Amino acid sequence: MENLQSGDLTIEVAVTPESVFRCTWKGKSNERNPPEILKPWFEKLLAAVGEKQGSIEMHFEKIEHFNSSTITALIRLIQICRKTNVKLAMVYDQTLKWQRLSFDALRVFEKNDDLFHLRFA
Amino acid sequence: MSTDGDFGFSIDITVRNEWRNVDLLRTSVQNCFTAVFADVDGCHAIAMVTGELLENALKYGDWVSGDRARFRLRVHGKASQVVEVSVQNPLKGDEQHASTLLKAVEWINGFAKPEQAYRARMLQIAQNDEDEQPSRLGLVRIAFEGNCRLHAKVADGTVTVTAALDLTPQAPA
Repeated sequence: MENLQSGDLTIEVAVTPESVFRCTWKGKSNERNPPEILKPWFEKLLAAVGEKQGSIEMHFEKIEHFNSSTITALIRLIQICRKTNVKLAMVYDQTLKWQRLSFDALRVFEKNDDLFHLRFA
Repeated sequence: MSTDGDFGFSIDITVRNEWRNVDLLRTSVQNCFTAVFADVDGCHAIAMVTGELLENALKYGDWVSGDRARFRLRVHGKASQVVEVSVQNPLKGDEQHASTLLKAVEWINGFAKPEQAYRARMLQIAQNDEDEQPSRLGLVRIAFEGNCRLHAKVADGTVTVTAALDLTPQAPA
């Protein structure tokens, strides 16, 4: 699985021996239409995860900023992962107020199925 | 940007309608306020609000026949008080855009807490298979993460959206 590099955004992927696809977001997601870039990359990621019957960890601790259109793309990813039974975790920096607000709000998508959960580093 | 003894400040600039200017201005506003105030979270909130308002203006403004000189950013206020961030842009000719915007602001302000509006909008987005345009998530994010009251005004072929951030120090719970 290749890293994503687009504009100011980089997402680095590392796969653990347990087939956890650890995706580290760096820089800024500030494109006019982030879903246009993220959706095809997410599709490739999900295909790779599916092949290995793995799971996904999205790490946001190092990202400087993302716009609201990026949040829309993340909501779509949560929905797709749930539909395809892929475990997804989002990890954020609780000491940053903006990250705490953005990600705590996504808890509205947490259910008892263990397919999506949020945690802080 | 100007400051006086009680840390008043004012930014008022006309902006070129280029997408890259959103991030240039967002980071400039953040850096300016970080240089003046100790409240890093507050500075980040002001910058986020600035970025989201500018993005909306560029996405939905009239950049074909509209007067580009009417694209304007204003940030003013005083430390530890209410900060107002306003973005003005030329409005598309059809009334639908203005109507949608005004209804969105009214919808957000109708919630007792902006957090409720934000969660409701996220759930709406999740329920729709296709991305609705405009998503208006940016406006709800402004209200929630910026702890803002929103106001939109349509006049003379322009729309001005103003977000008032309350930076008054909160008493400990």
